[in-house]
Amino acid sequence: MLSKPTTDHVIHGVVRSLEEIVLPTITDEPARVAVQMVQQILRSAAVRAAHEIAWMHEEIESIRTAAAAFAEEPAVAEALGALDELDPTLLELADVQARYDRAGEVLSRTVEAAYAANDGAAIGRTRQLLEQRSAHEMAIVGQLDLVGRG
Amino acid sequence: MPERLAAFLAAREQGVTDVEVTSYRVMTGGYSRLLARADVTWQRHGEPEQRTFVLRGDPPPDRSLIHTDRSYEWDVLHAVAGRARIAAPIHFDATGEHLGTKAIVLEHSTAMSLLPYCAGRDDVGDLPSRLAEAAASFHTIPIDDLPDSIERPPSYDGYLTSRIDEWRGTDRAHVESEPFLRYVAAWLDAHRPPPVPLTLIHGDFQSANMLVDDDGHLVLLDWELAQIGDPREDLGYFKAVAQAAPPDLTDAEEFCAHYRELTGFDEAQVNPAIVSYFLILGVIGTVRRLLEGGAAFARGENHLLASLFNLNSVQFGHMMWMQAMTQLEAALASADQSGMA
Repeated sequence: MLSKPTTDHVIHGVVRSLEEIVLPTITDEPARVAVQMVQQILRSAAVRAAHEIAWMHEEIESIRTAAAAFAEEPAVAEALGALDELDPTLLELADVQARYDRAGEVLSRTVEAAYAANDGAAIGRTRQLLEQRSAHEMAIVGQLDLVGRG
Repeated sequence: MPERLAAFLAAREQGVTDVEVTSYRVMTGGYSRLLARADVTWQRHGEPEQRTFVLRGDPPPDRSLIHTDRSYEWDVLHAVAGRARIAAPIHFDATGEHLGTKAIVLEHSTAMSLLPYCAGRDDVGDLPSRLAEAAASFHTIPIDDLPDSIERPPSYDGYLTSRIDEWRGTDRAHVESEPFLRYVAAWLDAHRPPPVPLTLIHGDFQSANMLVDDDGHLVLLDWELAQIGDPREDLGYFKAVAQAAPPDLTDAEEFCAHYRELTGFDEAQVNPAIVSYFLILGVIGTVRRLLEGGAAFARGENHLLASLFNLNSVQFGHMMWMQAMTQLEAALASADQSGMA
């Protein structure tokens, strides 16, 4: 496999070609909007291609740490058990995504346990995890442009 | 299509002959429905007339981003006509046998879209007051005047609980776990606002669905998501979308005050912090529909570009909800301190 240019670099090259070669030739408004949507989607895909496996791994470990305080709660324990059924050493995207999905459920149940206990510190810890996730998401979204609206 | 439309109008309009569609153009501006503008000429009782219409129809099922009912929308349009400023509903092909798809024919409005109108000005002027008036115009319609096709929730508390549960249900139905939704649900439950009477709400009350008329008042479009709910959901929804597509007209001091004057709500029921609460709660219907589109794409059930594109809006929403919760908590803490003092 030729690994350079990297996947994100390839995608950014495609976006640039759409901008410089394709868009200037399109006069049909719905088609222009479609191409602009494609560009935004591709930019997001480029960021994900570069980072998503690392980001998902990091978040899974952070969630596990935050959930430890409620590991005796049956709902949280069940979700942690489901997460532990999956092999953390597998690096195929589908495998990492499956673990990330289960870790998300662990986080949700930890949030609910923290609110049920009215535990402000624990609520704050789960909030920090979501803020971390949101920071990654905003790197993926970039500048949100609602093309074609209004 | 021009020929079908001409035949449809010839059959529906009283006393017209020689109907000709002189221009027919597909419009952008909505992600959910097919939109087209048609310029039409005819003779009415021997006198030439020229009209412009907007057709609003259902896309083919495999290209439909969200599923709503044109018959329901037609009922809503008639309920709000004369109270809210809207593009007048003129004709309806209720079966699609004439126009090829179920479609509403609306009078074309010459008013300017709100976003470009604002973009061309340094100052939004009295638009915050106009927005308050636009919202109050249909939030004050007595529920008994609304068509039976609009479902009536049994109680305020039950309604709010069901809206909060919709966040949890949206997570359960999604193609992957979405912990933001469960966090927001827990937070909304822990910070319930004072109740107000349930009213008709627009359901997609955002600048992209508004035009500025010649006299500066707002014309409201796209009523397909209208329902009975908490009217503050519309205010919060406007604020939410304005974070990505400014200006936020609800930020102006006069907005809440004028809206309270027009609706009779008190300051505990409508204030900037409450609007921020509904910035979060009010978007769940849209969030659910956007996630359903993304999930359908992930499952291979649709191939819509918009389904992918809109996932970025959901992620933008995550950030916005977190900020709004932080701001509202700070406002509540400040109010508590004032109370203690």
